[in-house]
Amino acid sequence: MKLLKKTSRTYLIVSASAFIVAGLIIYFVLSFILEEEMNENLRSDIKSIVRTIDKDKTIPHYFPFVEVKKVQGHSPGPYRVIDTLIFDKKEKEQIPFRQISSVKSIQGETYLIIVRDALLEKSDLLMIIGVAIGLVFVLLNITLYLINRKLSLEIWKPFYNTLDKLRKFSPDDSSFNLTDNSEIDEFAEMKNTLEGLTSKVISDYQSLKRFSEDASHEIQTPLAVIQSRLEALVQHPDITKDQADLIKSAYTSVQRISKLTQTLLLLTKIANDQFPEKVRVNMSELLQEKITLFEDHIKSKSLTVNKQVAEGFMLETNFFLAESLVMNLIGNAVKHSSKDGTITISLNENHLEISNTGSPLSVPPEKLFERFFKADKSTGSHGLGLAIVKEICKLNKWEVTYQYVNDQHKFIVQF
Amino acid sequence: MKILIIEDEKDLVDTLKNYLGSEGFLCETATTWFEAEDSLSVYNYDIIILDLTLPGGNGLDLIKLIKERNKDAGLLIVSAKNSLDDKIKGLDMGADDYISKPFHLAELNSRIKSLARRRHYEGSDEIVFNEIKINVEANEVSVHGEKLDLTKKEYDILLYFMVNRNKLITRESIAEHAWGDSISYADNFDFVYSHIKNLRKKIGQKKGKNYLHNFYGIGYKFSD
Repeated sequence: MKLLKKTSRTYLIVSASAFIVAGLIIYFVLSFILEEEMNENLRSDIKSIVRTIDKDKTIPHYFPFVEVKKVQGHSPGPYRVIDTLIFDKKEKEQIPFRQISSVKSIQGETYLIIVRDALLEKSDLLMIIGVAIGLVFVLLNITLYLINRKLSLEIWKPFYNTLDKLRKFSPDDSSFNLTDNSEIDEFAEMKNTLEGLTSKVISDYQSLKRFSEDASHEIQTPLAVIQSRLEALVQHPDITKDQADLIKSAYTSVQRISKLTQTLLLLTKIANDQFPEKVRVNMSELLQEKITLFEDHIKSKSLTVNKQVAEGFMLETNFFLAESLVMNLIGNAVKHSSKDGTITISLNENHLEISNTGSPLSVPPEKLFERFFKADKSTGSHGLGLAIVKEICKLNKWEVTYQYVNDQHKFIVQF
Repeated sequence: MKILIIEDEKDLVDTLKNYLGSEGFLCETATTWFEAEDSLSVYNYDIIILDLTLPGGNGLDLIKLIKERNKDAGLLIVSAKNSLDDKIKGLDMGADDYISKPFHLAELNSRIKSLARRRHYEGSDEIVFNEIKINVEANEVSVHGEKLDLTKKEYDILLYFMVNRNKLITRESIAEHAWGDSISYADNFDFVYSHIKNLRKKIGQKKGKNYLHNFYGIGYKFSD
C-alpha cells in the first residue's frame, strides 16, 4: 500500500469516528441547552401572565401557547414540566410541545396557567447537525488529501530519487553517489546512511576484485620461479633417474597449482561480472573450431563424434566466455567419455546439447556443478570446469541441466 | 643479440638470464621501473622482455617509453595477471607478443627466437640442424634436401624442438605449445607421444638421424 493511501485511509477512519463522537456531543449539549432556554422562557412567560392578570384583569388565551383556566380546589404548586403532542390542524400532524403548567392564586382566585412552546423535533436537530458535521468532514478530508498529496510529492521527492538511484546501483560503478539533498532530517540521515553503505559495498567490491588479481599475481610469480627453476634444473647433465622422478612430481604439482589459481581467478571474474563486452558470437563456427581442437583427444580415445550443428547460429554474449563454455563442455565430454564411446553435439537456436557415453553417476547429479567436485577422484582435473559452465550460464541467464538418458551423460544449455 | 629483461622477481631474472644466456643471447636486467627507464634511455636492445607488474610504475607506461626510445626492439610482454585487458592493451600499444606467468622456458625461448627471426637476425628464415632444415616462411621441412611431409602438429613440435635444441623440454611444455588450453582435458599424454613417434618415423624414412631423446619420462631433448 502506498504511503499516501495508507495515511489518507487512517485520517479518514480516525476523523470519521471523531466526527461521529463530536456530532453526538453537539447534539446532546445543544438539545440540553435549547430545552433549558425554553423552560426559562416559559417560566418567565408564566410570570408575565400572572402580572397581566393581576394588573389588567384579563385572562390571556393563545392556544396552544397560552392557556389559563380558573380552577378550584387546587393549591398553588411548583412548575410542572411535561412534553406533549398537540394536533396542528393546518399541518395536520402532531407537533411536540414543551408545556409548563403552574397553579397560581391571584387576588383570591386560583388559576391553572399552562404555557407551551413548540419543540424542535429531535430528528430535525439530528439531521441538521449530521449534515453540518458531514459537510465539514468531507471538506476537511478533501483538504487533507490534497495537502497530503502535495506534500508527499514534494517532501518524498528526494526519497523517490534516492530509491531510483539505488535501483540502478552496481558495485562496479565507483562514481555512484546520491546527490539529492533533502531539508528533512530523516531523509538526509537515510541518504547519509545509504551513501555510507554503498561506498562500503563499492570499496569492498573493488578490494575483492583487486584481491583476486593481486592474489593471482602473487601466486603466479613464485610459481613461475619454481617452474623455471625446475626446468633449469633438469637441464643439468648429471641428473639421475631418482632425481628426475622427484623433479617430475614437483613439476607436475606446480602445473596443477598454476592451472587451479588461474581457473579460480576466472571463476571469480565471471561471478563479479568482469566480462561486460558483448559481441555477436557465431556459435556454430565456434563449436566447429573447438571440436577441431580436440581432434587428437578424440582420436586417441577412438571416440565417434555425432554433430548436428545448425549453421550460422549467432548469440549476443562475451566471446571469451562463450569460448570457455564450449571448451569446458567438450573437454568434459571427451574426458569422461568411455573408450570407443560416442560424443553427440547438437546446436540449434534453443539449446546446445553435448553428451557422451559412460556408466551412470555414482553421486547425486546436482553435485556435478559444485566447485571442486570430482565424480572421478582418479583424474587430474580440479573439478571447476562445470562450475565455470554454471557461472557463465547464470551470467547470461541461460539454463544448464544434466540428464542421464540411454547410457549417455547429457549436458543441455538452454539459451 | 641483446635482450633487456625487465622483471622484479630476482629469482626469475636469474633463471631467465642463465637460460637465455646459454642460448647465446646477451642479457641485461632491470628490476624496477626506474632501472628500466635508465637502461632504455642509454642503450639499444634487440628484444625487450617486460613484466607488466613492476614496482615503481605501471608497465603499460613503459611500453610508450620503449616505443619512443627503442622502437625497433621486439617487445614481449610477461604478465602474471593473465587478464585479457592487459593483453589486448599491451598488443594494441605495440607489443609483439604476450606470455602469461608461469611459462615454460622453452616456450619463452621459442617466442623470443620467433621475434628475432621476424627482425631478420640470424641471417635467414631458415633454421638448420645438421641434415634437417626448416623454412619458417614457407612452413617447409627438408631432410638431406628432401621435402618432409608433416602434419601441422608435427611441424609445430619439430620447430619447437629445433629452436630449443640441446635443451630438455618437458612434455607439458610440448603439449601446451602444440595443443594450447585443450591439453588440460586430456587424460594422458598418449597422443603427444604418438605425434613424436610419427615425427621420428618420418625423419627416419628420409634417412635422418634420430635426434629426439626421451629423458626419464620428464620430456625430450633434441640433440646429437
